[in-house]
Amino acid sequence: MVTLEEYETVDLFSNWDQKTQPIITIDNLKKWFPVSQQSILFSRVVANIKAVDGVNLFLNKGETLGLVGESGCGKSTTARVAVKLEEPTEGSVYFKGIDIFQPMSREEELAVKRQLQMVFQDPYSSLNPRRMVLDLIKEPFDIHYPDMLYEEKESRVLEILAKVGLEDYHALRYPHEFSGGQRQRLGIARSLAIHPEVILLDEPVSALDVSVQAQILNLLHDLQKEFNLTFMFIAHDLSVIKHVSDRVAVMYLGKIMEMCPTGELFRKTAHPYSVSLLSAIPRPDPRIKMDRIILEGDVPSPINPPSGCPFHPRCYKAQEICSKVTPQLEELQPNHYVSCHFPEI
Amino acid sequence: MAQNKKILDLRNIYTYFYTESGVVEALDGVSFDVNYGEPVGIVGESGCGKTVTAHSTLRILPKNGKTVAGEIIYKGVNLLDLPDLQMRRIRGKEIAMIFQDPMTSLNPIFKISDQMTEVIALHRKCNKKEALEIAIETLDLVGISEAEKRITDYPHQFSGGMRQRILIARALALQPSLLIADEPTTALDVTIQAQVLEIIKEMQKKLGLAMMLITHNLGVVAETTKRVHIFYGGRVVESGPTEEIFLDPKHPYTYALFESIPSLEKDKTRLETIPGNVPRLINPPKGCRFHPRCKYATEVCSRVRPPEFKFGKGRRVACHHFEELDLHIDMEAIRESRKAIKEEA
Ligand SMILES: Nc1ncnc2c1ncn2[C@@H]1O[C@H](COP(=O)(O)OP(=O)(O)O)[C@@H](O)[C@H]1O
Ligand SMILES: Nc1ncnc2c1ncn2[C@@H]1O[C@H](COP(=O)(O)OP(=O)(O)O)[C@@H](O)[C@H]1O
Ligand code: SF4
Ligand SMILES: [Mg+2]
Ligand SMILES: [Mg+2]
Repeated sequence: MVTLEEYETVDLFSNWDQKTQPIITIDNLKKWFPVSQQSILFSRVVANIKAVDGVNLFLNKGETLGLVGESGCGKSTTARVAVKLEEPTEGSVYFKGIDIFQPMSREEELAVKRQLQMVFQDPYSSLNPRRMVLDLIKEPFDIHYPDMLYEEKESRVLEILAKVGLEDYHALRYPHEFSGGQRQRLGIARSLAIHPEVILLDEPVSALDVSVQAQILNLLHDLQKEFNLTFMFIAHDLSVIKHVSDRVAVMYLGKIMEMCPTGELFRKTAHPYSVSLLSAIPRPDPRIKMDRIILEGDVPSPINPPSGCPFHPRCYKAQEICSKVTPQLEELQPNHYVSCHFPEI
Repeated sequence: MAQNKKILDLRNIYTYFYTESGVVEALDGVSFDVNYGEPVGIVGESGCGKTVTAHSTLRILPKNGKTVAGEIIYKGVNLLDLPDLQMRRIRGKEIAMIFQDPMTSLNPIFKISDQMTEVIALHRKCNKKEALEIAIETLDLVGISEAEKRITDYPHQFSGGMRQRILIARALALQPSLLIADEPTTALDVTIQAQVLEIIKEMQKKLGLAMMLITHNLGVVAETTKRVHIFYGGRVVESGPTEEIFLDPKHPYTYALFESIPSLEKDKTRLETIPGNVPRLINPPKGCRFHPRCKYATEVCSRVRPPEFKFGKGRRVACHHFEELDLHIDMEAIRESRKAIKEEA
């Protein structure tokens, strides 16, 4: 069988320098969802849900960046824009140096989408229940490689099923016949089928039981090695994030609070929000007794986020400046980015 | 005669569901107890019978479910023998329950005050005005600020964490002796979970409540309970003091479960996994229900239900081979890595 690369017709990314440039750079990304008020004659926008409100981050080739934050902070929206499922309100996403929201030909568009894939939390709702597994996993080939022979598509499907730990006969089954963990394997197979370079995994194990979660985490680890994949791994469980990530980005109310190598997040925690988040995790060891920082109140609404630093109303270090001036994400130490006026480092 | 320490004693409970596809053996000879004033954890992955245990105890099973054998001794009385009317008095007043999803247990169309005062008046035999005072007092106790004002709000005007506090307040206002909390923080974010757990722990201590805390989160049990019962496939596989079980699990399932969770303390690239899936309880595995997934299973395991071995200070294990196995969590490695983390900091 020829390699998939030989099907490639456009060469968009020849200017990308792997050694010095990240594979993905997200630059001041904003995604606002308008809230409109309907009257009989017209509707007008009365507010905006600022789901993503100035996110900066980057992914290096071959690494796993963990993206962690509480529900509603904008993780999924960031990922959906980054794989071009949605348009940004402002800001840019660069993939191998190319701004993916610049006008481009359909061929170029497909070339970008081929290399950027996403896996969702609930594999069931992301898999059409009326289609057989074979067709579900074949679909990316139909879209991206319409000229490929049916037999080749089919054998590629079987190959990928084997890679994710499923059997040939599973190809003739329907999604409802699979358990949660197996469905997640299907979701992974589908995203992997056309050999993307980057996969954004949106809470891929959050809905699974721990014994099954471990299987999927190990599978992802093996696949990453084998295919030299770059992962952005979204989760709200910091133990999972610590386990899978090379670097971590901590998100709060549409912004990145801290981004650094995983070890440093735990050893040299810089942002007061990260400190609070780490302190809140219940530890499965009855002998650990901790002085816990318990945050007051709830995460504010993204419709009307606090002025200045979005964390200031709940922050134990906040001073007057925090409510007035929005701190920028700055590289305080090599590879350690923090947006805080009074960081702990 | 020594006073009975047990407030609740489940003896050999069998609860079945009758469905079109067959009989679901949801609880298959479950025995465990809860002492007066003691927080006890019920732990296991989804579908292992945790919620059914709670519902069997309160006798609120759906129509197709029935506890067909066993005794549920509460304060010396077998609840399964009580007439409906008396059972109704037990619910709420004696045994209170809080559920995973606070929204479904609060009626969206009534004010909080309406949803609290009526039951309080009924169970504590007081008038509406006194009931309102009690309601405000307990809301205040669980950290709802301006409870006097907020009590006339509707459920949707509160966040998830606040709604869970309201449910805790409603449960506690009736001064129950036993609180059953079914995954009370599972739907909450980790910082909010920390708030709610803190309140549950504080209330439990302050009021000397016995508590059955149901969860799949090992961190939550470790921090909240003194004793724990591990469930697998509708049976209790291991019981004992929380600290001992976490440090020195004896059942192969308990051990595998602990080893399969990523931990903040351990550095590992691959997790231990448990092959396969949690069993379905229509035609469950014969013998030991864990045997198809167990590393140590032998022929006898697939045939004979393992007896319960008692040892140490109140420990119980249901495994044919537990005495020959040398399972232990590598505490040394964990301690080392924790020390390293501290030193670097
Ligand atoms: N299509 C949409 N329309 C309106 N609001 C949305 C939409 N998608 C997400 N949001 C809102 O944007 C915020 C961020 O959502 P999301 O990115 O899903 O967060 P996360 O994945 O971190 O939980 C939330 O307040 C959510 O309700
Ligand atoms: N109403 C029902 N009808 C049929 N089976 C049920 C019903 N409720 C629960 N079960 C089954 O009983 C078993 C235990 O369920 P449950 O106690 O809810 O598990 P969990 O430990 O996740 O709380 C599961 O296998 C479930 O499918
Ligand atoms: S900027 Fe201020 S409010 Fe924000 S986290 Fe830092 S100290 Fe706290
Ligand atoms: Mg999400
Ligand atoms: Mg349950």
